Amino acid sequence: MNHPARTHARERMWREFLASLVLCGPAVALYAGFIVLPALMGFGYSFTNWTGWTDNPGFVGLANFRELAADTMFRSSVRFTLFETVLLTLFFTFATMFLAVLLDKLRVMKGLVRGMFFYPYILSILVSALLFRYLANYREGAINILLEAIHLDALAQNWMLAREWAPYFVFALVAWSGLGFFTTLYLANLQTIPTDLYEAARIDGAGPLKVFTHVQFPMLLPTITTNSVLALITGINLFPQIVVTTQGAPGYDTFTIGYYIYHLGVLNNRQGYAAAVSFVTFTALVAVAAVQASLLRRRQVAL
Amino acid sequence: MITRNDSKRRWPLFEIAMLLLGILFVSPCLLAVINSLKPLPAIRENPFAPPNGLYLDSYRFLFTKARLAGPMVNSLIMCIVVILALITTAPMAAYSMTRRRMASGKFLRLFFLAGLTIPFQIIMVPLLKEFKTIGAASISVLDRVAPAAGVHATTYGTAGETLLAQSGADFSYFALWVHYVSWGLPLCIFIYSGFMSTIPKEMEESAALDGCGSVSTFWRIIFPLLVPCTITVIIFWGLWIWNDFMQAFIIVGPRAQLVFVQLYTFLTDKYVKNWSNIFAGTVVLSLPVTVLYLLMQRRFIKGLMAGALK
Repeated sequence: MNHPARTHARERMWREFLASLVLCGPAVALYAGFIVLPALMGFGYSFTNWTGWTDNPGFVGLANFRELAADTMFRSSVRFTLFETVLLTLFFTFATMFLAVLLDKLRVMKGLVRGMFFYPYILSILVSALLFRYLANYREGAINILLEAIHLDALAQNWMLAREWAPYFVFALVAWSGLGFFTTLYLANLQTIPTDLYEAARIDGAGPLKVFTHVQFPMLLPTITTNSVLALITGINLFPQIVVTTQGAPGYDTFTIGYYIYHLGVLNNRQGYAAAVSFVTFTALVAVAAVQASLLRRRQVAL
Repeated sequence: MITRNDSKRRWPLFEIAMLLLGILFVSPCLLAVINSLKPLPAIRENPFAPPNGLYLDSYRFLFTKARLAGPMVNSLIMCIVVILALITTAPMAAYSMTRRRMASGKFLRLFFLAGLTIPFQIIMVPLLKEFKTIGAASISVLDRVAPAAGVHATTYGTAGETLLAQSGADFSYFALWVHYVSWGLPLCIFIYSGFMSTIPKEMEESAALDGCGSVSTFWRIIFPLLVPCTITVIIFWGLWIWNDFMQAFIIVGPRAQLVFVQLYTFLTDKYVKNWSNIFAGTVVLSLPVTVLYLLMQRRFIKGLMAGALK
């Protein structure tokens, strides 16, 4: 016969295990089955010539990665993605900071004005894309009609698909819809600055500029870190916005890495190669984001 | 606060400037509202002029020709069923990982955390393949069950396919539901775990003394305390799923009867492309979200900032 205390302990452990299974089971099963498994499958497919629809992908070793090294289209997608990422990171880190400092100064209509700047963030990507496509349209768009009204017809063009404007069109769209999010993160941080710091600065005779550089900016450093990392991720993962606007045009000018993966995997049945592209870029993104976060954090401590 | 108060009596020029800037910022939306109430020639002539009387044909078009009412209901149902799954599975898992002495708790937390970094592009096509395999397997199961229910192979295909077609069920929506839930889990678990650390431990301990098992302790004691967190999750994922276009478009396909997929497929159709219809479409589909936003702006913003982790 078992010792009663030991039986009791074993029974408790068993019940504890069952409870964990009931509590954790559904989440773990769904997440492991439909996020982790496809990610691992993708990694496996990067060594094959899988088309996406056949049943038996052939193993090709490192051929996909070798092809990637010489792929000019991949290189131009990387260049465009980095261009957008730099613009967006600068915009979402600095422009939104100045806007937040201004919005923080409001004494009346606070909620209204902040609400306006946040509003585009709650719209679907498709809605903001359609609005911007309208503004940028060559024959019927608001920008060109406005230009015509002030007799600057010469400047009128297809703002979305003209070679020199397409990158800025994509930037404007993403910047417009994301602005509220990044500004709000700064606003939340500004609320945490103790008022006696402002008072001390005032007693020392600091003007608004000095208050910004000596009080607000140093106190905002944690959010500068967060925002720049989030902006970087936003830039590198730029993809649905391209599907609903330029679709990579003009030529292959506005192909982002994400759109290139979609182009290869979904539109052109080259899933094996697409998987190789996604893994190379994903690894690079994780590395860059980690380095950026740790560098900024170290700097933050130093200040 | 002295710095901010001393200029209070002055005419709020700064505020007015910021207000105008804000109006300029949302002007694309205002243009959409104005122009959805005008016929196309009027939009072409002057998009900035206020509407000349009420022209509601574009709105009528949306609900008659474009049949947007059905997709609106479907999208709403999708939001509800995904959120129901998220607000039950995620807090259960978070509770089990953070509050109970589970040996694998730490490992599981890292495991879910990793999910926050995976972009959709990576899992997109393998996921489609996975759903296709599961779909085929369930059809072959149905093939065996269907004859017993009196359904046999028809021109639709095998007995199982016929049964599916007759019952009006569509596997791809179920697949989308599965994807939305698993896609949302890492962030939800992260939010819930963070919130749970603020709940005092004594509550559960007294429940345990009263003889409550862990599962019933969770539902009776912990779950009601998580309401603020649950509201955040409802706002964040409700909005996300309602607004989602890309993932539904890829998983279910261009025929998906969900709002933004329908708006995309039918508005980009060259034969019906008409700015007035497009504006009416964007206005109608953004209206529910906008109304909720206006009603509870603070809650909304707070809920959406949860995405700072994603």
